[in-house]
Amino acid sequence: MKDFLSHLFIPKESNNHRAKILHHTNLFLVIVFLLLASFLIQRVRVSFPSVLGIKVNISFEELLSLTNKERQEAGVDPLIINEKLSEAAAKKAQDMFEYNYWAHNSPVGKTPWIFIKSSGYEYIYAGENLARGFTTADGAIEAWMASPDHRNNMLSSNYKDVGFAVKLGEINGEETVLIVQELGNLQMPADGDKAQEIATAKNTDTFSRSVQAVRQQPLINVSSLSSNIYFIFILVFILTFMLDMIIIEKKKIMRFVGHNIDHILYLLLVLVLIGVWSRGVII
Amino acid sequence: MLKRISEHTIYYISLIIILSLGFLLAYSSSDRGFQIGVIVAITFFYALWGIMHHLINHDLNVKIVIEYILIGVFGLTIIFFLLSTI
Repeated sequence: MKDFLSHLFIPKESNNHRAKILHHTNLFLVIVFLLLASFLIQRVRVSFPSVLGIKVNISFEELLSLTNKERQEAGVDPLIINEKLSEAAAKKAQDMFEYNYWAHNSPVGKTPWIFIKSSGYEYIYAGENLARGFTTADGAIEAWMASPDHRNNMLSSNYKDVGFAVKLGEINGEETVLIVQELGNLQMPADGDKAQEIATAKNTDTFSRSVQAVRQQPLINVSSLSSNIYFIFILVFILTFMLDMIIIEKKKIMRFVGHNIDHILYLLLVLVLIGVWSRGVII
Repeated sequence: MLKRISEHTIYYISLIIILSLGFLLAYSSSDRGFQIGVIVAITFFYALWGIMHHLINHDLNVKIVIEYILIGVFGLTIIFFLLSTI
């Protein structure tokens, strides 16, 4: 076993001074294996969603409390759940699944404001944050807070109300989870306490009816399974290229192969993208 | 290794700059088609840049070309399947 591993990963005479895993045939086999494994994962995911699927555990309550926690820390008044904004968020998520897009404006030019107004929320101020592929509320809130535009939206004192929608569906044939956050204010901020009190009372009542959660608990979470497999493969290749480069430099052996530094830099880019994209995306 | 890097500073700096720009472009966009386009372009650039460098150094052979293509396909396969799970 030890000999086999050293033959696979360490350049020496037995592998013609190039780690065996870096030989063309083995690189090709690794690609074929990855293709087959990915297709198999996709097939199992479609046929047995209870075994392999996207693991989601997001409650509106959690989204609201995390948003308000951030606002509290920034010294801004907390937001109140508004049923009309939640309805607008649900319509927006449904529209994205129906018309296969992932953007603030739909391909036919529907803006977020159309969904908000059609739900009966006559706003003075309105804003929208979108997240895709996140499976926990804190992941999405964290990503929004890390982006200056989304952070400004979440912490803006111009907003008093908020509505959320979390929906599972397919965009371009890919199963995904969408989180829509619609923010708004019916009053001018300087309008005073009275209007705010009315809004609070009214919306506290609707919140108790709006608390919902989206949960899907397959046996294996497909997104973390895939990204972990890819991460390990890339890491193994980066380390093997590094080891190969160091040993060959030390032994001062002349070879006609590609530059390991090129491969390491390119694979590092792929590794960083895996780390970033596997968490989910926001707009 | 350091000697090699210092001998080809411009080559490696340009490679790092293009890869970083590619990352920023792909990361800042939310358009899946654009992201894939950027990654394909970056992969193509990485392979072409490496092959050109070998050509300039007069040590290019078919095996080296295949090596760059295989590593590029390896990276692209992973990116395509990763994007299909989010």
